[in-house]
Amino acid sequence: MIEFDGVSFSYDDRGRSSDGHLVLSGADFVLDEGELTLVVGPTGSGKSTLLRCINGLVPHFSGGTLHGRVVVDGRDTRTHRPRDLADVVGVVLQDPVSSFVTDTVEEELAYGMEALGVDAVAMRRRVEETLDLLGLADVRSRPLRSLSGGQQQRVAIGAVLASGPRILVLDEPTSALDPVAAEDVLASLHRLVHDLGLTVVVAEHRLERVIHHADRILLIDEGRVSPLLDPAEAMVTSPIHPPVIALGRHLGWSPLPLSVRDARRRARDLRATLPDRAPAPPPSAPTGEVVCAVDRLVVRRGGEPVLRGVDLDIHDGDVVAVMGRNGAGKSTLLATLVGQLVPMSGSVRLGPPADSIDPARARPAEIVVRAGMVPQDPATILYADSVAEECRAADRDFHLPTGTARAVLDRIAPGIDDVQHPRELSEGQRLSLALSLILASEPRLVLLDEPTRGLDYQAKRRLVELLRELAAAGHGIVLATHDVELAAEVATRVVVLAEGEVVADGPAAGVLAGSPAFAPQVAKILHPLHLLTVEEVVACTGAAS
Amino acid sequence: MHGGGVVTGVGGSWRTPLLMALVVLVGVAAFGWPFLASPGSELGQMGHTNDASFLFVGLMTLMALVLLAEMSSGGVDAKTVAVLGVLAAAGGALRVLSAGTAGLEPMFFLLVVAGRALGARLGFMLGALALLASAFLTAGIGPWTPFQMIAAGWVCMGAGMLPRASGRAERWLLAAYGLFCGLAYGVVMNLWFWPFMGDSAPAGAGYLPDAGAATNLGHYAVFYVTTSLAWDLPRGLLTAVLTLLASGSLLRALRRSLRRARFDAVGEFADAR
Amino acid sequence: MALTPHSRLPRLLHPAAWWVWGVGLAVAASRTTNPFLLLLVVAVAAWVVLERREAGTTNALAAFLVVGLVAIGLRVVMVSLLGGGVTGRVVLVRLPEVPLPDWTSGVRIGGPVTLEGLLFAVYQGMQLAAILACLGAVNALASPRRLLRYVPATLYEIGTAVVVALTFAPQLVEDAQRVRMARRLRGHSPRNPAEVGRIAIPVLVGALERSLDLAASMESRGYGRAVHRTARSIRLAGLLTLVGVGGVVVGLYGLLDGTSPLVLGLPTLLLGVTCAAAALLVGARRDPRTHYRRDHWALPEWLVAASGTVPALVMILAGARHWDGVVPRQVPAELPAVPLLLVAAIAVAATAAVLAPVPPLLARSRATARTPSEPSRELVRR
Repeated sequence: MIEFDGVSFSYDDRGRSSDGHLVLSGADFVLDEGELTLVVGPTGSGKSTLLRCINGLVPHFSGGTLHGRVVVDGRDTRTHRPRDLADVVGVVLQDPVSSFVTDTVEEELAYGMEALGVDAVAMRRRVEETLDLLGLADVRSRPLRSLSGGQQQRVAIGAVLASGPRILVLDEPTSALDPVAAEDVLASLHRLVHDLGLTVVVAEHRLERVIHHADRILLIDEGRVSPLLDPAEAMVTSPIHPPVIALGRHLGWSPLPLSVRDARRRARDLRATLPDRAPAPPPSAPTGEVVCAVDRLVVRRGGEPVLRGVDLDIHDGDVVAVMGRNGAGKSTLLATLVGQLVPMSGSVRLGPPADSIDPARARPAEIVVRAGMVPQDPATILYADSVAEECRAADRDFHLPTGTARAVLDRIAPGIDDVQHPRELSEGQRLSLALSLILASEPRLVLLDEPTRGLDYQAKRRLVELLRELAAAGHGIVLATHDVELAAEVATRVVVLAEGEVVADGPAAGVLAGSPAFAPQVAKILHPLHLLTVEEVVACTGAAS
Repeated sequence: MHGGGVVTGVGGSWRTPLLMALVVLVGVAAFGWPFLASPGSELGQMGHTNDASFLFVGLMTLMALVLLAEMSSGGVDAKTVAVLGVLAAAGGALRVLSAGTAGLEPMFFLLVVAGRALGARLGFMLGALALLASAFLTAGIGPWTPFQMIAAGWVCMGAGMLPRASGRAERWLLAAYGLFCGLAYGVVMNLWFWPFMGDSAPAGAGYLPDAGAATNLGHYAVFYVTTSLAWDLPRGLLTAVLTLLASGSLLRALRRSLRRARFDAVGEFADAR
Repeated sequence: MALTPHSRLPRLLHPAAWWVWGVGLAVAASRTTNPFLLLLVVAVAAWVVLERREAGTTNALAAFLVVGLVAIGLRVVMVSLLGGGVTGRVVLVRLPEVPLPDWTSGVRIGGPVTLEGLLFAVYQGMQLAAILACLGAVNALASPRRLLRYVPATLYEIGTAVVVALTFAPQLVEDAQRVRMARRLRGHSPRNPAEVGRIAIPVLVGALERSLDLAASMESRGYGRAVHRTARSIRLAGLLTLVGVGGVVVGLYGLLDGTSPLVLGLPTLLLGVTCAAAALLVGARRDPRTHYRRDHWALPEWLVAASGTVPALVMILAGARHWDGVVPRQVPAELPAVPLLLVAAIAVAATAAVLAPVPPLLARSRATARTPSEPSRELVRR
């Protein structure tokens, strides 16, 4: 169905790679019909480039030189531009919202078919079929902007699917979604592969969500593409892997179990032998000083109450993970803590009791020394032309000696070039930069909104280390996140919000291990033991043996 | 990198400049007919009723459509459509946001800077589309829309045609142009409905179909100074100030984005290895 | 009933039909300064909007009416302070006059305010307000963006760019608000005017980056695949455009210059307009693209369009024949006559409120309002 014959690709113009550095090399494989192939690799390794080769966006749209040959369903991309392949390959790009041309569900589904000249009767029928296939019939006439993330992603899939391609290519379809929405999308994909026999190629760095759906795996690192691999085989060596694999590898299981279910079967004996680390007794008295006190907080947004009476105290050295489904009020809580939203009633006091302020009334300059927040998209607080200029601006903004922000950046992420444009940094580097700018003013409380969105495992590991360092240095940290693995690794305390109310608040092990929705993979495998991460298992098995 | 000619993919030929020149003539007539019509002429007669105003609303609509069609006749590639759409959205959104103050200042600022970055041809398309988009967004389509589209297109196109400059010189150049446009746009846009005021215009400031050009020019000057200058002058000044303050970095950012878009990207294929 | 039941089912009327109706009514309003007729026009527009505006859409009419009222007020103020073209006999007030130098001939500030002058200003203002009301009604009845689906193929790219703009604009507003909030995180006060540029940059750059994704998505979904124009049809269209616009220029010259031969005027202009319009359609016929769920043009569309055209035609005729009551006498002021024929002609436009099918959402909300206890009957959409 898809044939890559000795494909390599490079940008041949100035800038990116005058040294002839290949963005992609050694891609040589044949993907069979009806298979789901997963492309695995770190951010910036060439995953997107590989996917975009399939329908000829590379090099027709991107520029550059492609060596070798890509043949899709008998059509060579040399002679067929992406638009000529629209009826064969459907490509869903990373951010569904920016791929929408029209503004309602039905029109978006029909857009591709209009361009292809599908006749009106067939078009109507296919729109109806696609609506049913992806479970979108209820929202058919809704504006796209009013849909949830999972629905938007499904519309984006439907929009390319309606034209009737046999191949579907998806670039990180779930990385921006919360677990529930991601499940929605993956269930739809599963159905497309199994009921309709579509050939699907997916790039995704949240492997724990997709690995068990995959038939074949392509590993890719710095542009070098592996041959087609069997998933379990590939995971033995893959530097990128979900916790379930890490656990399996550590215990020397072979073949490696890919899903929680398989791993749980293998772990029957382990569970019996491992000592249960009883959930740490609720800390009798928090150690640090209070840096933020929230009392019966009620916040409205657009007339609707989003937070309904939240109480929360945060101490020095706390790492609090705020979890809950989309719309539960996580971001609203964070925004209120830094004074971006004004509470209806209740109060927020920032800083130690002796010197606390009300963020809604304080000047921005007063807030930044007490609480610093990195927003969901770190790029929104970056606007200078270079990293150096960005750091200098932060020094000026916070009235700090020149070089402070840069020094923080060097500690967090050494080796970022001064002259680089902030927007050209990788996601992880961009987050580090934004975080250092915020940390430059040494806020007692650090808030991060969905920090792992778009981060690969390496960047995530770096972030985990960093957060631990910060907590050890006495910062209070609040994370709003969907990422249960992150929460399991760093959080000392987990707060679960639902419909604007705190429904659980306690030590991470207790809250996470017991919850079906928020349990990390290791906890699911080892349930009822209170172990959350591979590290903890390693520590226990080390102690046991 | 200089502004002009960043974007290819829009059919270019001798026809478009010629057509633009002709449309400028139509525009001069459409906006300026009260001064150009000789007393005995048919238009002078039509000036008594509202026929002339209606005639020009129709003509300007047709001109706007014909110009845009001609400019896109070679096919506009997806990148250009997307960039035009997004910038027009930004212009339209700014207009909607500033609707409370009835001002066009931020929109003009954007049009001048973006027109500079895009060049004359795409600049015209952007100006016209931004105005059209803002009319759609506010459900405010009316006879003024084609006049505004063409006038805003000219504003944006003019920014693309300004002489080469860079750094501070470019900033001052754009600021001066912004000031000029703020005023000129007001002068021109008031013209289309001035004759429509008929005898309800202030004494000595109304359109007299039977009087000569000089009298009408004088009357219009009075009309403009007494009714509009107080709005237009701050608008021009604000555009200029905004341009001075922010055009440098915005222009750099725009040009960088446009460069990264690789409008001239041509994929090449080589034999394997 | 003469209308087939199918076309009467709840659906949205073709937007072009509403635009013909509204422009027709506006033309009718532009022919008269009779305040009673103008009030009738506003009433007709308002009633049709009440009856046939789709539920949940913005009511543009209200905003247009406010602008219209402001226009009336401004004119009254202007005429009171600066005088007007009408010199009346009945002086209501005499404002102190500001002495002006000689060269400002004709201009005056202050002075007598006459009943006739005031009335005339009100009539003229009402005329503008009535035209605005018609346009507001159309904007409310048929969202102009629905018209975008009917642009000829020659304007396809432009139409797409506008659609993209309309899709992106609300996102940009949200982005701008997000960035503005985020700026506070770096200790900036949002009140600083230089902030406009600072906010514009991340918003625009972000949007342009996303626009590349959009372009890639459009390209992969077949945008630009249907080449609807051959080199020949492009040349033909180009030629027609040039000839057409050239004709318009010559025609305008003829109209502007009183001494040129008559044939240079209107006939040349019309010829030019025809050529230019033809240029828009050349090649559009060979467009292989198809369209999803286009609105039908059925009997109700014809009837609504006709009901707007009738008042326009009658009022143009009445204006040309100088019928009584079309343009009330200015001096001396008198109560304008109300010719029944003209009233009837304008009232024809009101039939649109009955002739047009009920919009689907409105129909549903009415059905639920009527039977509050029962679940709403499923009504066919469009």
